[in-house]
Amino acid sequence: MAYDLQLSHIGKVYDNGTPAVIDFNLDVDKGEFIAFLGPSGCGKTTTLRMIAGFETITSGDLLIRGSRINDLLPEKRPTSMIFQNYALFPHMNVRQNIRFGLEVKGMAAAEADRKVDRIIDKLGLTDVATMRPNRLSGGQRQRIALARSLVVEPDILLLDEPLGALDANLRKSIQNELKLLQRELGITFVFVTHAQSEALALSDRIVVMNAGRVEQISPPRELYTRPQSLFVSRFIGANTLIPGVVKDLAGEGVTLDTAFGILTGEKHDRLASGDKASLILPAEAVDILPANVAPEEARKTYGTNMIPCQITRAQLIGHILQMGVQLPNGDVIAVEGHADKYRGQFAAGAQAFVAWQAPRSTVIKH
Amino acid sequence: MESRVLKPMLAVYVVAFILFLYGPFFVLWILSFQQGPDGGPQFPITEWSTYWYRQIFGLTPPSRIAPLPVGEALVRSLILAFMTMVTSTVLGVMSAQAFRRKFRGSGFVFYLIVLGMMVPGVLTGLGTSLLANNVFEITRHWYTTAFATHVAYTFPFAFLVMLAILNRFDSSVEEAAWSLGVSPWKTFRKVTFPLIFPGVLSAMLFAFTLSFDEFPRSLFAAGGTEDQTLPLAIYGTFSVEIHPNIFAFGVLTTLFSFALLSVYGILMGLSVRRARKLAMQEEIA
Ligand SMILES: Nc1ncnc2c1ncn2[C@@H]1O[C@H](COP(=O)(O)OP(=O)(O)OP(=O)(O)O)[C@@H](O)[C@H]1O
Ligand SMILES: [Mg+2]
Repeated sequence: MAYDLQLSHIGKVYDNGTPAVIDFNLDVDKGEFIAFLGPSGCGKTTTLRMIAGFETITSGDLLIRGSRINDLLPEKRPTSMIFQNYALFPHMNVRQNIRFGLEVKGMAAAEADRKVDRIIDKLGLTDVATMRPNRLSGGQRQRIALARSLVVEPDILLLDEPLGALDANLRKSIQNELKLLQRELGITFVFVTHAQSEALALSDRIVVMNAGRVEQISPPRELYTRPQSLFVSRFIGANTLIPGVVKDLAGEGVTLDTAFGILTGEKHDRLASGDKASLILPAEAVDILPANVAPEEARKTYGTNMIPCQITRAQLIGHILQMGVQLPNGDVIAVEGHADKYRGQFAAGAQAFVAWQAPRSTVIKH
Repeated sequence: MESRVLKPMLAVYVVAFILFLYGPFFVLWILSFQQGPDGGPQFPITEWSTYWYRQIFGLTPPSRIAPLPVGEALVRSLILAFMTMVTSTVLGVMSAQAFRRKFRGSGFVFYLIVLGMMVPGVLTGLGTSLLANNVFEITRHWYTTAFATHVAYTFPFAFLVMLAILNRFDSSVEEAAWSLGVSPWKTFRKVTFPLIFPGVLSAMLFAFTLSFDEFPRSLFAAGGTEDQTLPLAIYGTFSVEIHPNIFAFGVLTTLFSFALLSVYGILMGLSVRRARKLAMQEEIA
């Protein structure tokens, strides 16, 4: 089966020599919701604009349903783009804005009207249909842009930080609408954002980018539990990085010689014995054991992954216990867990152990 | 301390400036109401009358003073200014549009275009007339050779105006149209053009007024008497004898210019007010 959208070794070098995107590979299924996530200037917009056809592709191939479309003009592509500033036509009213795409395609007036009415109704724009877009609020404008793009029935909708200009509450509610709409219409969405929470809440898969390169493509949860690069482990979630030297690769995981002794984690990448690497420990993987834990019992579960620590902060919020624990090197990890699990035995100042199961951490080469 | 000296000096300067700017016109305006046909082009006014105005429109009985031969020249100049305006504005919009993307040699082409307003008019006119006479061996006319020099002269103005307008134009609305499946040409017609229209209006005004009172290029590049533009015709009457009819005519053309400016001002005001309203609402939102 052909993918809806394929980027194969896509690269972009701007005229001034800036390499903005480097060797980008991605296969997108029909109806998938993909988010591009990364710090400012990492090439998200550039990639999106190449998909839309606004930016030439320097190297690699762009395929839509199996056919190469590198040189297809934007208006011939089955994509539609939503801009951060919405780019509504200021000289047309809301209805004219939405109808524009159908009108110039020469669709019969009655049919165009029917489609426009339906989308206006669906997005709750009926009351403002005859107003100029500049007289409307950010949320309304956002919906007009959405309606204008959806009414031409694109196969792929490209969104460049569409919620960036909205306040937090509005953002939340439009996020939900967007997700529902996408499920209902079955359109493939490619969504650019630099807000983690947005990407995590909306997408089926997240493409994390850094300095023009793809760092990782994973479902949201996996980004947390299984970061594949040091960048991702620092950028996403709350991970503790413990540096060391690779000792043994023979067993299930990989053992690492660190300042806290021998630690074990899941292997990743081509590691060789003697390599400098870091063990990535997600906060969710951390268990806190009391200082008086029976060592033999604990070893059965955690192996050597036990580090003595001191509780610096313990706060009960409802039934959630939030703790700060300090490792011997001074690093502080924020841990939270169900109060029952910890049975109220931890208070600030107490000694304890940070422990985790080896498969829940990852060793990544430096 | 400083302003006590500076301020009165500036005030004097401004008054002098206005006097020099409007003084001649004011004098012309008064003298245009001289009594006719015997009153001369000098003070004092022997008797106030509208004789010279009527004479321009052929409403006075024939006298020894021939009516100004401006009728046909005026029509010629209007047509020429109109043709120049349309051509230069179209060229200006198109070339400024081309300059939105960098292309090889764009710097060179830019200076080539702008040269048209830098080169002294006398040289352009003379050169054109020599080319027409000796190289191409064609007859010079106001609607051929003079027209060409007028376009070469006004096109850079239209080009620069449009360049400034397009420089500040947010091209994402065009991209939005393309991505809706609208062809570039239709996008230009339905999205870009309506939004840059105030600029187009300015370019048109520039081209029209510059061409309408263009003198040195027309002097050489237009043909004989039957090809004279208005400025040439007026200049021609000087060499014979000056009568107040020329003052009356000056007043009329100035009024015409004011009318043109007012139309422009109204159109511009409308679109600026709309743009300001957009901007304000944008800020509130
Ligand atoms: N037209 C251009 N010419 C030259 N360089 C450009 C151009 N557009 C973008 N760049 C550069 O390419 C890189 C990627 O830019 P891009 O806009 O794709 O980043 P982004 O991930 O969308 O960032 P942001 O989150 O700030 O929007 C940046 O270094 C930027 O400076
Ligand atoms: Mg961007």
